[in-house]
Amino acid sequence: MSTTFLPCGLYHQNYSEDQGWFQTPFIKGKMILLFILMFFVLPYVLDDYWLGNANMIGYTILGALGVQLLIGFCGQVTLGHAAFIAVGAYTSTLLILNVPWPQVMLDMGIAYPISIIAAAFVAGIWSVIFGLPSAKVKGFYLILTTMAAQFITVDFIITQYVSQIGGRGQAFSLPPGTIKIGPWIIDSDVKVYYLMCVLVILCTVGVANLLRTKVGRAWVAIRDNDIAAEAMGINIVIYKLSAFFVAGFIGGVAGSFWISNLAAISPEHFPWFWSLWLVGVILIGGAGSIHGVVFGSIFMVVVMELLSLGAMSMADYYPDLLMKFQFIKEAAFGLAICVFLMYEPYGLAYRWWQMKNYFNLWPFSY
Amino acid sequence: MINRVRVIFPCFLIIAIFLFAGSAIGEVVKVGALNDMTGATSDVGKDYALGIAEAYHYVNDHGGINGKQIKIYQFDYGYRIPEALTKYNLFKRLKCVLVQGWGTGDTEALSPTVAKDKMPYISASYSAHLTDPSKTPYNLFYSADYSTMARATLTAWFDTVWSKGAEKDKRKPRLVCSYMFASPYCSAPIKAIKDQAKLLGFEVGEDQDVSLFALDAKSQVLAMKKFEPDVVWHGNTAMSVATTIRDAYSLGLKAGHITNIWGMDENLPRLAGEAAEGVMAAASCAYFGMDVPMMDDVKAYAKKYNPGIPEDKRLIRTIQGWCNVLVATEAMIRADKAGDLTGEGILKKGFETMKDFNLGLGTNPVTYTPTDHRPTSKVKVYQWKDGKFNMVADVDLQQRWPDQWANEWLGW
Repeated sequence: MSTTFLPCGLYHQNYSEDQGWFQTPFIKGKMILLFILMFFVLPYVLDDYWLGNANMIGYTILGALGVQLLIGFCGQVTLGHAAFIAVGAYTSTLLILNVPWPQVMLDMGIAYPISIIAAAFVAGIWSVIFGLPSAKVKGFYLILTTMAAQFITVDFIITQYVSQIGGRGQAFSLPPGTIKIGPWIIDSDVKVYYLMCVLVILCTVGVANLLRTKVGRAWVAIRDNDIAAEAMGINIVIYKLSAFFVAGFIGGVAGSFWISNLAAISPEHFPWFWSLWLVGVILIGGAGSIHGVVFGSIFMVVVMELLSLGAMSMADYYPDLLMKFQFIKEAAFGLAICVFLMYEPYGLAYRWWQMKNYFNLWPFSY
Repeated sequence: MINRVRVIFPCFLIIAIFLFAGSAIGEVVKVGALNDMTGATSDVGKDYALGIAEAYHYVNDHGGINGKQIKIYQFDYGYRIPEALTKYNLFKRLKCVLVQGWGTGDTEALSPTVAKDKMPYISASYSAHLTDPSKTPYNLFYSADYSTMARATLTAWFDTVWSKGAEKDKRKPRLVCSYMFASPYCSAPIKAIKDQAKLLGFEVGEDQDVSLFALDAKSQVLAMKKFEPDVVWHGNTAMSVATTIRDAYSLGLKAGHITNIWGMDENLPRLAGEAAEGVMAAASCAYFGMDVPMMDDVKAYAKKYNPGIPEDKRLIRTIQGWCNVLVATEAMIRADKAGDLTGEGILKKGFETMKDFNLGLGTNPVTYTPTDHRPTSKVKVYQWKDGKFNMVADVDLQQRWPDQWANEWLGW
């Protein structure tokens, strides 16, 4: 499923062509159109509510990308990714609030960009620490060790100590104007949207690029058969840990992005359920596919919101429906995972792949 | 293929009908509500949510907002912050003029956002951190804040128990605080109660960390025993407070117990049995079923809209929900009369025009000013004794400590 068939009459002559970003002018045009859509159409067409949902989609993509890398590409099942997002969010917030930045740096608006990079590295290193057991254990046992990341990081360290810094005993809130990049103060949904688009593109391209390298091939080899990969000379411990680092790194970026969306954080923003949700996203979108992360995130946010809007219209006839919607939503989440695993095990990305091939091979799509 | 179209098309049609069905409704005032029916605080959240819904039915049946009906969009957000943010954005899109929020999680997470959007956010979190308009102008509630309640409850215990005891002239009274350190709700009034303890001449022991989900607090009680406190402040919710006082009772801790508003309700005696005898707590309104103005309406609407829940299972949380609805409604009525039913209008021409406004339901009158959003300085303190809640004091902090109230205690 990883390779899309080329349109009739096109073929590659060397390896670099085979791995190229834009293999046909059509793909290049499609990407340019997507860029125009993201930056010049959607921000003007969408109202604040749908921009807010778009930001949630972006946050979900950033979160799920790391989970996809670990589960879908490296075969390391994780259920503790919310912890690394939390580490990113807290690192970024603490750096902005507690570091005595020189006034010139504050005026230049580089505190937040620096904090994003620092948060990504800290979350990456933190993720490696919880990835260490992957050297010894795998499968079900690895799931439990990654769950420990949530309990140790969020429920213990962040809740008991980090969130108490300054003796406030409540959520950290960032004063207006502290989240800015250069002269650009991020203080509206549309600005958060632009930031989200940039971060999502950078992280997605970064991961896609990594997958084209020796490192990415090693991850896939470990996922497919770790014993065979080791027999081929791949240092599986190093590569597994590098996967944890990159996943944590992107999680840190997600956490830093989250603070721009709310300007406040507390440990309650990063429940264990969020890790589970992210795994659901990649199962529905399609494990082992970057498209799957995007499709899964859109599905989980948009479909759930459409359900919510539908329930709201019906609330005039069934007044209890809105209050019971959380049950419906969770049931829909569970049902969607069951249905996808049974009838569409490769997720939405597989449908997209089939659709593309249908058109590429047309009129010989049989 | 044709079969698929036959199935899919009617489905889309049905969804479209439901999506646009709401647009046929006439002019209404829209209000959003976030409640927790399934999450970490659902033990007290369910009853509160029922109270909110029943109270809005009552308001609509009694004229709404100057004749305009209120349409409430009430969602269970499961105490999940991303869900709260999504729903808040939905409320904005629906052009809701006010949001009835829930706990500390969503209130604090959304505080900067509601200030930016000028959206009045009426929460069930009564943290004193939300009472300074220079920092959180759009966060409001009807009750005395947690810090005021903590100060008042300690004062009430000092006046009614310690001052009448045999030890009062021999030594200082001793206080220990038992709460979940990490919880913003539990820790919110700790600084204030210790300050009050110092003011009243208490000796303060080491704080004890008791989880909100605690099923055992024996080690904390044993630690308290070494200090031999005269009174213990419980900052958690009823379930874990019951655990702690039950363990204190069984381990023979000779101390009185005082709690925050969420620490004592009709469930506490059921959970703690004899150990609950004598526990004192602040309450910003009457307990369910008490003989106070409007209680008959509360009972009638509870019976009408939720007949499946027996009256004796309803809690003070219902009344708290009603009070937040009544104060929000009054603010909207005032703003509407002034021709400015917007977020800013509701704040400035609604809430901030209320002076000694009486909501009924056993509350103290509320006042909001542009510089001070503490609704009241008066706190009623109740004690569970002989199978019922008895009011033992009505403490007015402003009257007793006017300088500190005016100049020192705002916002913490």
